[in-house]
Amino acid sequence: MIKDFSYTLALTIIVGIISYGASKSAFALDVPISASVTGSCIISTETNGTYGQPNAYTLTTAASDGGQMPITRVDVTLASAYKVKFTVPSSFSSSPNLNDVVTFTGDTEVSAVSDATNMADYETDKVEVSDYVDEYDLTATGSTWFKHTSVAVNGGSRAYPSGNYTSYVVAECIAL
Amino acid sequence: MYRSLILLLFIGAANAHQMSPTYPKWSDSYIDDISVSRVRVFNKRKDVEYYEIGVFDKDMKPIPFVTQYDLRGIKYHNYAEFTIYINNRYKKDALYVCSKSMLPKLKSTGVVSKICSKFKD
Repeated sequence: MIKDFSYTLALTIIVGIISYGASKSAFALDVPISASVTGSCIISTETNGTYGQPNAYTLTTAASDGGQMPITRVDVTLASAYKVKFTVPSSFSSSPNLNDVVTFTGDTEVSAVSDATNMADYETDKVEVSDYVDEYDLTATGSTWFKHTSVAVNGGSRAYPSGNYTSYVVAECIAL
Repeated sequence: MYRSLILLLFIGAANAHQMSPTYPKWSDSYIDDISVSRVRVFNKRKDVEYYEIGVFDKDMKPIPFVTQYDLRGIKYHNYAEFTIYINNRYKKDALYVCSKSMLPKLKSTGVVSKICSKFKD
């Protein structure tokens, strides 16, 4: 009887020790991994543009005229959290002294998307705020590529003075 | 071909401007009637060394605020945290905090990037 009791007690203690050890091992494996996802907008300049000069009084980013269109990419990690606004040049940021009034035209278009289903309407839904400003609501997560055109025609078909001409596109990503 | 692809991907990721969080919050500072908020700007634009920070109302008009440097140099592939202090009387009108890339002298058409986060209670 006493022998049976001792045997049962010893077995209980052994099982208890094993259970405790197992539970300690389980705690040791319980390594927390936490994250705080805050969302963000990323504007990338894929290509800086270049003006080509098809004639003496025109500067254009059209590839057919020797120019290069600037291309920007916008990545968002939250859907419907941002709109993006592009302003194409309406003046030169630097130039030689000009001999006439320059007329600027330009536009922004979606050139590629990372999600063909959910971003298909970006171009048709864009808001043309003015001749130079276009706005897009970024309703899906992912990447969108935008191409920008700029044409600057010197007044009276007068030749541009020699020198360097620069202008810039403004890309704004604004939280909604 | 693979080399070309890798190069293109690298170029694609090489010139980026990022700001987070999307919706920063104000909290009390250690000074009476002054609130504080923080945003983080990451510079992956090789062509940009300086970023300007600003606080704006719903019409994108500037709101008075204080930070250590409103124009700050951020090295390529580095980030900077901007700590923004605002008087509580301006806080309700402050809707956006924006970071804007400052372009160096350009050779031709460039891109100015501006990212605006929105304050939410």
